[in-house]
Amino acid sequence: MLLALKRRLHRHLLRDPLYAFLFEPPPPGEAVSVDCETTGLSTRKDDIVAVAAIRIRGNRILTSERFEATVKPRAKLNAEAIKVHRLREQDVASGRSIDEVLLELLRFIGSRPLVGFYLEFDVAMLNKHMRRLLGIELPNQQIEVSGIYYRRKYGDAPPGTQVDLRFISIMTDLGLPLLDQHDAYSDALMTAMMYLKLRDLEARDIRIARQRAKPVS
Amino acid sequence: MAHHFDAKNAPFDRLTAEEVDAVREALDIVYFRPNETIFGRGKAPDSLFIVIKGLVEERDGDDLVALRGPGDAFDSRALVQGGGSNAFIAREETLCNLLPRDVTLKLINQNPRFASFFYLDIARKLGAATREEEAARFAPLLAARVRDLFLHPAVFMDAKDTIADAGARMKAANCHALLVREGAETGIVTRTDLLNAAVLDRRSIESPIGSLARRPIISVAPDDLVSTALLRMTKHNKQRVAVTENSEFVGLLEDIDLLSFLAGNSQLVAGRIDRSSSVAELARAARTIDTQIRTLRRQGVRVDIVCEIVSDLNRHLHAKLFSLVAPKSIRESGCLIVMGSEGRGEQTFRTDQDNGLILAASVPPADLETFRTDMFDALEQCGFPPCPGEVMVRNPVWSKTLADFRDDFSRWLALSNETGAMNIAIFYDAMATAGEADLLRTAKQTLIDLMHGERVYLARFARAIDAFPTPIGFFNNLVTSKAEGDALDLKKGGIFPIVHGVRALALENGLHETGTAARIARLGELGAFEHQFARELTEALHYLMTLRLDAQIAEAAPTSLVKPGELSTMERDLLRDAFHVVKRLREMLRRHFNLAMF
Repeated sequence: MLLALKRRLHRHLLRDPLYAFLFEPPPPGEAVSVDCETTGLSTRKDDIVAVAAIRIRGNRILTSERFEATVKPRAKLNAEAIKVHRLREQDVASGRSIDEVLLELLRFIGSRPLVGFYLEFDVAMLNKHMRRLLGIELPNQQIEVSGIYYRRKYGDAPPGTQVDLRFISIMTDLGLPLLDQHDAYSDALMTAMMYLKLRDLEARDIRIARQRAKPVS
Repeated sequence: MAHHFDAKNAPFDRLTAEEVDAVREALDIVYFRPNETIFGRGKAPDSLFIVIKGLVEERDGDDLVALRGPGDAFDSRALVQGGGSNAFIAREETLCNLLPRDVTLKLINQNPRFASFFYLDIARKLGAATREEEAARFAPLLAARVRDLFLHPAVFMDAKDTIADAGARMKAANCHALLVREGAETGIVTRTDLLNAAVLDRRSIESPIGSLARRPIISVAPDDLVSTALLRMTKHNKQRVAVTENSEFVGLLEDIDLLSFLAGNSQLVAGRIDRSSSVAELARAARTIDTQIRTLRRQGVRVDIVCEIVSDLNRHLHAKLFSLVAPKSIRESGCLIVMGSEGRGEQTFRTDQDNGLILAASVPPADLETFRTDMFDALEQCGFPPCPGEVMVRNPVWSKTLADFRDDFSRWLALSNETGAMNIAIFYDAMATAGEADLLRTAKQTLIDLMHGERVYLARFARAIDAFPTPIGFFNNLVTSKAEGDALDLKKGGIFPIVHGVRALALENGLHETGTAARIARLGELGAFEHQFARELTEALHYLMTLRLDAQIAEAAPTSLVKPGELSTMERDLLRDAFHVVKRLREMLRRHFNLAMF
C-alpha cells in the first residue's frame, strides 16, 4: 500500500517523461542482478566506481546481455576501498561520468525487479544520483538474496542461533562456484546464481540445513 | 580472473584467445533443479551445454546412458546434426554454461582442431559399433600366437628309412610331412616329395628318404604371432613351417590350419576329430572348437547356427572319445548321452561335463569302473572341466542300466523335491552322442509316460520359472544390479525362464525334441502356443543368446552379464522386447499350470 503510493508519487515527481518506462509492468519472469563497487562504505561521502547488472530470465542468467561500466568518481578513492575492489585512480580515470552510466543502466534494468546482496546499499548509492537527475528514487521491486537465505536457513531457528550472512558463506553453503569477488560483474553473477538456487529451494520448500550448535558440556 | 567458464577444459583449450573471448561474450548460465529435464528426447537443443556445477544424466528412454559432470559438454551430436538426441536430465542442482548453437557452429567451421573434437565425439557414438566390430573381427586373430593354432605333431624318421616306411608312417600319424634326421641335421619330407620321387622320378619305394629331405627348415616359435607365421609362409612360399622351441621341434603348422583359423572352417575340425587316433590328438582338435565359435560369430553367423555347428562338433568329439575309451562290452551295449545345454544343442563355449551312460544290460563291473574314470579323464583333457553337480559318467548315478534309470525316474517323481525336479530337467534334455540311441529314446518315453497326467508335479516343476525376476521395471526400464556393476543377467532374467518354461510344456506334451527352438516349434504345431507367440519366443531366445555369446567373446569368459549402458539404442530396445516376451511366457505358464495356488 505504502509502496504503491510511493510509486505513484515518484511517477508524479519524475522530471523526464522519457523514463516513464521505469513504472511500466516488468516483463514476466525477469529480474536484474545489480552490484556496485564504491570508493567506500559511506553512502553520503563515497561514490560509485563500477556498476554491473545481469538480466535473469526464467532459470537463465543472461550473461551474454550484461551491463558493465566503470565510473569516474567524484569522491576521492579511499585506500581501504582500493584494496577491496582493486580499482585504482588510474583505472577509474578512464571511466565515464556517473550521469551517463546511470541513465544507461536505467534503460538496461527497466522496470524489472532488482536482485542483490545487501542491495539496500547499492540502491542508496544509485538513488543519490537518481534524485539529482530525475527527481525520483529507483521504483523497482527489490529482492534481497541474503533475506531469502535467512528465511530458508534461520527462519525457524531458536533464539541465540549464530547467524552468518556473509557473501562467501552463503555461496559456499549453497555449493555455488566461487568467482573472483569484488569485481562488480562477478559479484552480480554470483548474486544471480544465489537468487536462482534460493528461489528454487523456496519453490520446493526445501530448508537449508543448519550446523547443529555445539552441545553444552 | 576466475570466470564461470573455464577455457582450460577440452575442447575449449583448442581455441585461440580471441575465440575464447567470443565464447565468453556469448555464454549464458542456466540453473536446473534436481530431476528437471534440460531437454527431452528427440528435441533439438539451441545451445551447447557445459556443466559448471552439478550432475546431468543422459537418458535413452528410461535407461541411463552417461553422466555429465563439471567441464563436460553436451550434446554435440544433436547440435551439429540438428537432429534429435537422448534426453538430458539434471540429477542434482545443476548450473550450466550455454553456448548458442550458431556460435558453436561458427567455431567448428573456423577452428579445425576444435571441430575434430566434436566430430570425433559424434563419429565415436555413431560408428563405434561398426568400427569396433571390424577391428574385433581381425585384430585378435592376427594377434593370436602360434601356440593357439592347431599343430600337427612333429614326427621324426631317419634318413636311412625308405619311402615306403615314410608313406606308412604319414598315414598312421595322419600328417602331411615328416622330419628327417641325418646326423646333426634335420630336413623335411612332404607327401608330395614322396609322390614325386616314386611316380615322376620312378625311384624304388625301398630307396632311403635322406636324399629327398629339404633343408633348411623354415620355423617359427610357439610365442610368435600368427601374422608372423603367415608372413614367413608367404615369403618362403611354403605350405608348412616347423614350430620350434629352444631348438626342439614341437610341431608342424600347415597353411590350411592357419587359414582355417583365420577364416573359420568347422568342416576341417570335424574331419580332424574323426581322423584322430588318440585322446591327445582329439584334445588338440577340441581346443580349436572355441576358436571356431569366435570366428563364426565374427563372420556374422546367427547364434542358432553357431550353436548347431558347435553341438555337432562336440558330439563328434564325444563319439570319437567313446570309441577310443570305452571297452568293447560298453561300446556294444551302452549309449553315451550329453545333457543340459549340451543336450539341447544350445551350448557355445564349453562349460562343464554334463554326460551319462545308459546300459542295455549289466556289464563286467571292472569294465564300467575303467570306463567311468577314463571317459572323465579324456573329457577333462579335451577341455571339459568337471561338473560341480557331478552330472557325469564318473558318478554311478549317471552311468547305469536302463532298468536302474527307470527306477530313478519313479523315485524322483515320488520324492517331489528340488533335486528330483532338477534331475528330471537334466535328463529330459539328454541327447545320444554315441552307441545305441534307442536306449535313450526308451528311457525318455518311460519318463514321459510317468509324467503323463501328473498336473501337480508338472506345476511344481514349472514353478522354477519364477526363481528370478524379469529385469524389466515398472516404467519399462531395464533393471540392472548395482552389485554386478550396473549389469543384468541374461541367463537368470531371460534364457533360463524360456528354456525351463518350454521344457515344462514339452514334458507335459510328451515331446522328444531336445532343442528349445525345436520344442517351441512343435508346441506351436500342437496349438500350445499361438504361431505368432512361438515365433516371438524363438526370436527372443536367440537374441538373448546372441547378446550372451557376444559378451562372452568380448570378455573372453563364460559370463551372462550385459551392461545395458554399453549397448546401442537398438540393442536396448530389442533387449526390452525380448524381456517382454519372457514376461508374457511367464504369465501364460502361471495361468496354464495354475501356479497361483502355490
